[in-house]
Amino acid sequence: MKKSSRFLIASFVLTLLIIPCLVAQGTQEQGSQKVVLTMGSWRTDDVEQMGRLLTEYKKIAPNVEIQFQPTNPPDYNATLRLQLDSKTGPDLMYARSYAAGQELFNAGYFADCTDIPGLMQNFTSSNLAPWRMPNGKMFAVPFAAVSHAVYYNKDIFKANGLAVPTTWEEFLAICDKLQKKGITPLANGVADEWDILECFFLGMLPDYVGGASERVKYESGEKKLNDSSFVAAYQAMADVAKYCPKGYESVTYNDSQVLFNTQKAAMFIDGSWTAGVYADATFNWGVFAIPAPKGRKTAICFHPDMAITMNTTTKHPAEAKAFLAWLCTKEGATTASKNLPSGYFPMINFEIKLDDVHANEFLALNSGKETDARFVWPALMDLYSPMNQAVIKVMKGQLTAQQAADSVAALKK
Amino acid sequence: MSKKKNSIIPHGNYWIIYVLPALLFYVVFMAWPLLDSLRLSLFTGNNIATRKFIGFGNFVRLFTEETSRARYWGAFVHTWYFFFIHMLVQNCLGILFAVILTNATMKGRQFYQTVIFIPTTFAVLVTGYLWKLLLNPVWCGDVLSKMHLSFLVRPWLGESTTALTCVALISCWQWMGIPTMMFVAALRNIPEDCIEAADIEGANAWQLFAHVKLPMILPVVGMIAILTFVNNFNAFDVVFATENVNGAPSYSTDLIGTLFYRVGIAGQHPIGIPDTGMGAAIATITFIVLLLGVLPVLKATQREQ
Repeated sequence: MKKSSRFLIASFVLTLLIIPCLVAQGTQEQGSQKVVLTMGSWRTDDVEQMGRLLTEYKKIAPNVEIQFQPTNPPDYNATLRLQLDSKTGPDLMYARSYAAGQELFNAGYFADCTDIPGLMQNFTSSNLAPWRMPNGKMFAVPFAAVSHAVYYNKDIFKANGLAVPTTWEEFLAICDKLQKKGITPLANGVADEWDILECFFLGMLPDYVGGASERVKYESGEKKLNDSSFVAAYQAMADVAKYCPKGYESVTYNDSQVLFNTQKAAMFIDGSWTAGVYADATFNWGVFAIPAPKGRKTAICFHPDMAITMNTTTKHPAEAKAFLAWLCTKEGATTASKNLPSGYFPMINFEIKLDDVHANEFLALNSGKETDARFVWPALMDLYSPMNQAVIKVMKGQLTAQQAADSVAALKK
Repeated sequence: MSKKKNSIIPHGNYWIIYVLPALLFYVVFMAWPLLDSLRLSLFTGNNIATRKFIGFGNFVRLFTEETSRARYWGAFVHTWYFFFIHMLVQNCLGILFAVILTNATMKGRQFYQTVIFIPTTFAVLVTGYLWKLLLNPVWCGDVLSKMHLSFLVRPWLGESTTALTCVALISCWQWMGIPTMMFVAALRNIPEDCIEAADIEGANAWQLFAHVKLPMILPVVGMIAILTFVNNFNAFDVVFATENVNGAPSYSTDLIGTLFYRVGIAGQHPIGIPDTGMGAAIATITFIVLLLGVLPVLKATQREQ
C-alpha cells in the first residue's frame, strides 16, 4: 500500500509541475494575434464555395480565419436559437429576412449594422428593406438573392418541336402535348409542402397580383386576398396538378430533383439555388420565366434570401465588422459573387457579371420585368401555413379555387 | 424484518452513499428538467430576457385560440389512433407470434425469432426513409405493376386518409420484435404442469390461451401496454422520417410529439421562432395524460408475486 501511495503522490506532483509549462506555451500562441471567427449558416451545400470565399478574404486580412459551420436547413433556426440563448453562437451568421431576422435583433442577438461603412451607400433601398427594422436600423448586410423559374430539358423540347412558352395557356398546351407522348411534364410534388408554395405558387404569384407596388395594397387591406387575381392563381395550380407525376402527393423535393435530373420529367418549377445540382447533367437544360396568362404581364419573384450579420456577444467585434465592411465594397462584393454558390445573386449596386452561364440566364430573366420578394414574406408571414395548405388542397381537388382564396382571406387580420 | 443486534444487516444510514450517484444522475437529468418544464409552462417569451410570468395563460390560449385548439385536438386524436393501431397490430400480433413460437411443435423457431427481431435493430431514420421510398408510386410503381399488384400503387403517404395508418404500421413493423420477445420469455415462464393440467381437463387451444396463458402473462401484457402508450405519446422520429414535422399531408400525421417540436423547439417553418412556454404547456398536459393513463393500468395488471 505504502509504495503505491508514494507513487501516486509523486505522479501528482509531476503533473502539477508540467501544467504551467503547457499554459505558457498556450499564451505564446496568443501573442501572434491570430483571430478565429465562426460563421453559422443553413447552407450545408455551400461548404466548398464559402471555403473559397473565405480563403480570398484571408488574403486581405491574414490574421483573421473564418470557419464556415453550417447546420442542416430545417434545424438551422432551432440550433441557432439554442446557441444564441446559451451564448455559444457563431461570431458571424446568416440572417433570414423580414420578421424572422427582426425577431432575433429584438432579442438582442444581432448587432446593429447601420454604421458599417458602405452599407447604406452601396445598396438600393429595396435591397436593404428586408433587413431593416421599422425604425430604420439595419441588422444585417445583404448578401444574396434567389430567383424562381421553370427549369426545362432542352433536349426533350427539341425532340418534340416545342418552343419556350410566353403565356400560361401556351405552357399548359406544352404540358398537354408532353403528357400525350408519355413524358411527365412537371416534376413538382407536394409531400414536402414548402416547395410547392415557395417555388411554384409564390414564384408564379407576381404574374397574377403584380409587383411590390401592388403587394402593399393587399397588405393594407385595400385589395382583398380573395379577389379575381388570387382566384385565378389558385385555379392555375388546380389546372397544373394533372401534369405533375402520377402519385405527386408522395413526391418530395429531392424526388423532384432526381426526376428532372434523370430526364423522367421535362420541366421543374424550382428556385435558382438548385442550379448547382444539375451542373453535371447529361442533357442540355435552361430556364424560362413562369409565364403569365394572356393579358397579364410576366413578373419575376426575385427574393432577397441571405444576409450576414454579427453576434452582439462576439469576442472579436472589430474583425467581424471588418469582414462585413469588406462585403460592402466593390472588390469584396465581386469576390463574393464569384464564389457565391450556384443560383445565388449579388444584391449590391455595382455591375457584376457572373461566370456561370445558367446564373446569367437567371439574371437575364429579370430584364424588363417587375420583380418582388415572395408575397407573404414582408408582412403576411402568418398566412404562410394557411396559404400552403390551401394550395395543396386546391391541387388535390379538395377545395375549389374560390374556397381556397376565401379560406386564406378570412385569416387576414 | 427487525434489525437484531448481531444480524448481518449493518446499522446506520450508510445506504445513502450507495444511492447518491444514481440519485444525483436521476435528479439532474430527469427530475429537475421535468419540474423545470412544468415551471416553464407558466411563463411566456422565448429567452431569459423576455420571459414573463402569466400563470395558466398558455393553457388557456392553447385551448381557446382557434388554430391552436384545432392543432392540439387534431394531434391528440391522431396520437390515440396511432396508439390504437399499435395495440392492435404490434401487441396482438406480438402475442400471436409468441404463442406460435413457444408451441412445442414449432419448427425453425430461431429463424423466425431472428427475422421478427431484425427490424428493431435498424435506426428509425433508415426505416422511415426506406419505407418512404417503397411507398412512393414514382419509384416503386413500376415494380409493383410488373408483379401484378397495381392496386397497391397509390401515394400512401401523400393522402390524408391513409398516411397516419401507414406511418403507424411502419412503426409497428419496426418494433414488433420487442413485445414478441417479451411475451416469448413470459410464456416460457409458465410452469409446464399448469398447461398439462389444462390439457388433461380437455381444454382446446383457444381455451388454453384465454384461461391459462393470458392470465399468467397479464403483468407483462400490462407492462407492454404501458410502454407502448408512453412511447406512442412521445412518438416523433417515425413521423419526422417518413413525412415532415408539420404532420403532412394537411396535418393528418401530426402527433403530440411533432406538435410539441413545432411549437416549442423548432418553431413553424420558415420563421422558426419557438414559443417555449407554450411548448412546455403541451409537454405538461402530455405528462398529466400519461400519468392518468399509466396508473390505472399498472394497478389492474401488476400484482404481488
